[in-house]
Amino acid sequence: MTEKNTFDLSNIDLSKGNPRNALVDRIRSWARINSPWAIHYNSGSCNGCDIELLTIITPRYDVERLGVKMAGTPRHADVLVVTGSVTLQSRDRLLRIYNQIPDPKFVLALGSCALSGGVFHDCYCCIQGGVDKVIPVDVYVPGCPPRPEAVIYGLVKLLDVIKNGKTNPTENKPTLIPSESELIDLERPAESA
Amino acid sequence: MTAILSVLQLLIFPAGIFLILISCIYEWLDRRLVAQFQNRVGPRWFQPLADILKLLSKEEIVPISVNRTLFILLPIFAFACVMTAALYVPMFGMESVIGYPGDLIITMYLLSAMTVSLGMAGANSMNRFAVVGATRTLTQLFAYEGPFMLALLIPALVAHSWEIDDVAIYASNHTWMILTYPIGFAIALIGLIGKLELSPFDAPEAESEIVSGVLSEYSGRGLALFHIAKNVELVVGLALISAFYLGGIGNLLFFTIKTLALLMLISLLQSTLTRLRIDQTVGLWWQIGALLSLGQLLIIILARIL
Repeated sequence: MTEKNTFDLSNIDLSKGNPRNALVDRIRSWARINSPWAIHYNSGSCNGCDIELLTIITPRYDVERLGVKMAGTPRHADVLVVTGSVTLQSRDRLLRIYNQIPDPKFVLALGSCALSGGVFHDCYCCIQGGVDKVIPVDVYVPGCPPRPEAVIYGLVKLLDVIKNGKTNPTENKPTLIPSESELIDLERPAESA
Repeated sequence: MTAILSVLQLLIFPAGIFLILISCIYEWLDRRLVAQFQNRVGPRWFQPLADILKLLSKEEIVPISVNRTLFILLPIFAFACVMTAALYVPMFGMESVIGYPGDLIITMYLLSAMTVSLGMAGANSMNRFAVVGATRTLTQLFAYEGPFMLALLIPALVAHSWEIDDVAIYASNHTWMILTYPIGFAIALIGLIGKLELSPFDAPEAESEIVSGVLSEYSGRGLALFHIAKNVELVVGLALISAFYLGGIGNLLFFTIKTLALLMLISLLQSTLTRLRIDQTVGLWWQIGALLSLGQLLIIILARIL
């Protein structure tokens, strides 16, 4: 699905030279820090990280007190939480979900597999390395699986990233997003007849 | 001078910015109460405000296959409908800003127009989840709308007036209608839950089935406007029910206590009842809700004749 960007005010740097715009920027970044809505994507995980991730919205850890809400659709989300090594099957979907999230967006890679491929490193069906080979990652949470405390710590680190001004969407864009057909060519060379 | 006063009433107090901020507090209370019922801590008090500001500052994506004009205008239309409806309802212990005979019908029409524009937004989104959500939203609208309307017409029939302020004044001079017409009150309250698409009537935006229902394709400003519209609708609905069934306009303190008690009841129902399938919702409203409200109406008419 292709989409057009409209009303993209966030691309314009308003903060230069005008104190009123600086105030607007501060309000914006306050709102972003206090309401990170997350969407969870399993790009080929063994489900361990997913279960640990879901515990953070249960009564014991309840991250709603930090303003975190699990969004149903990428259109509502700010933070993409990716678990698991990226399989060849799910890589295009991961890119598509990343592109469906409106700017500014942030990515949290959860678990050893998302960081480096983990036990699936060098596997025939996965890309070599972690999630950051496909999309830019802001915060890495190691562990196999990470404890819920570690996930919450990672979220707080992510809020620091937002606070320190990494809200410019141009920095968030992946350095290179090949199109889907290019990706298929890249990974599975066309069989010569 | 009166023109300036009208603009102030429209944009700042009691409608406009003040109402948006108050509705944020009501949403926070609702979420907090549900969290407490679920043994959680719940969000902080400024959470809805931060959500809305964040959504307003985010990028808005317009999918390529939708009708652009409708996609952009529908959130504004829904927002305008509920803000206008708020002008006709007595709130915060004051009479309504505008009042004329028949404004009860206008208010109910405006509240329904918000739901209809929500359904149109979903159907316009060309997303399969949004279309399913739109179907369910409109189906549910036809289910609860009749009984809900009858439940709000019962006080009007009793007070011999179609003007909200008149009915509220009649209600404050007589026994609370929750005691004399309890069936009407129950149907109005449950109808409000259906109107706000809260659990158990949250099939239109069932997150575990159809991602986010009609709002699946909305992001940024459109989502924020629908969000505000829902919150304001909650306040307007609570104010309407408390003015009709819980003893009229009253003062600011009593308004707050009454609406918070109603909100607590809604949160309790929300966190204890499970989601109904859409056919169960329709069946419940037409088999039980409609019959009960018609029965209540019959009792009033018979009492008047005899």
